[in-house]
Amino acid sequence: MTDTIDKAAMALSSTLLLAGIVVLGAVETLDGVPYGAAPTTNEAGEVIAQPGIDPAVRTGLVLAGLAVLGLWGLYRVAVPATGAEHRTAADTTAETQ
Amino acid sequence: MAYDVSNPLAGEFDLGRAGPLAPVWLATLRVVVGWWFFHAGVTKLIESGLHFTAGPSYLQGMGDTVLGPVAVWMATTIPGFVEAIVPLAETLIGLALIVGALVRLASVGGAIFMAFFWVGNAEFGHGVVNGDLMGLLLFVTLLVLGAGRYLGLDAVLERLALVENHPRLKHLLG
Repeated sequence: MTDTIDKAAMALSSTLLLAGIVVLGAVETLDGVPYGAAPTTNEAGEVIAQPGIDPAVRTGLVLAGLAVLGLWGLYRVAVPATGAEHRTAADTTAETQ
Repeated sequence: MAYDVSNPLAGEFDLGRAGPLAPVWLATLRVVVGWWFFHAGVTKLIESGLHFTAGPSYLQGMGDTVLGPVAVWMATTIPGFVEAIVPLAETLIGLALIVGALVRLASVGGAIFMAFFWVGNAEFGHGVVNGDLMGLLLFVTLLVLGAGRYLGLDAVLERLALVENHPRLKHLLG
């Protein structure tokens, strides 16, 4: 059960991070000018092209991915991984020998 | 180490292969990041003390961002706390990373700061991957790798009786 939660949390976190940065970044590039997340302006400072994807969507996805990682960390504090205590005990034994 | 025979791309992975440079590099990275935050915080303390009024103004200007509701609430409800905590937390986070004490706790704090900076600066002239996001990811990296154990005080702190008796405290250490 906990192994499934670990895998799901890591997969979801990585997916959200990469979706916000890489996938939507590629979509925005393919969408044409501006190729980045900021609007393009002319010499007078007027906006002549808006990004295809609202930067709030992309930053939101990344922060959601990090939030998933944080929540998983809190879960791991509450429910230590099976074997973690054994590893700690083994390490301690090895250090004292 | 992770090994998945069903996926040829998920082969053997062992950080031990990084060799003796890895812990030294991590410690160096930790100290550099620490100095970055310590310098940012201590110079605010020198100039403004615990009344960094630009803090609430900055948060107030984040209204249109994804963190807008939280930022504006902090700026309007607890401005005095924000004025004090920004320079104080930056300084303490920096110090913690430099000496390698409570590195995971400090990294969480640093990541939260950088999330606000990344979203708040929000000009993204060169794309969403900018220096602020890199700073945020550096803190997450130090957190994930527990970088305080390498040439840091966390290696000593985790052997204290208090920590031995309350193992969950190790989650705050590197």
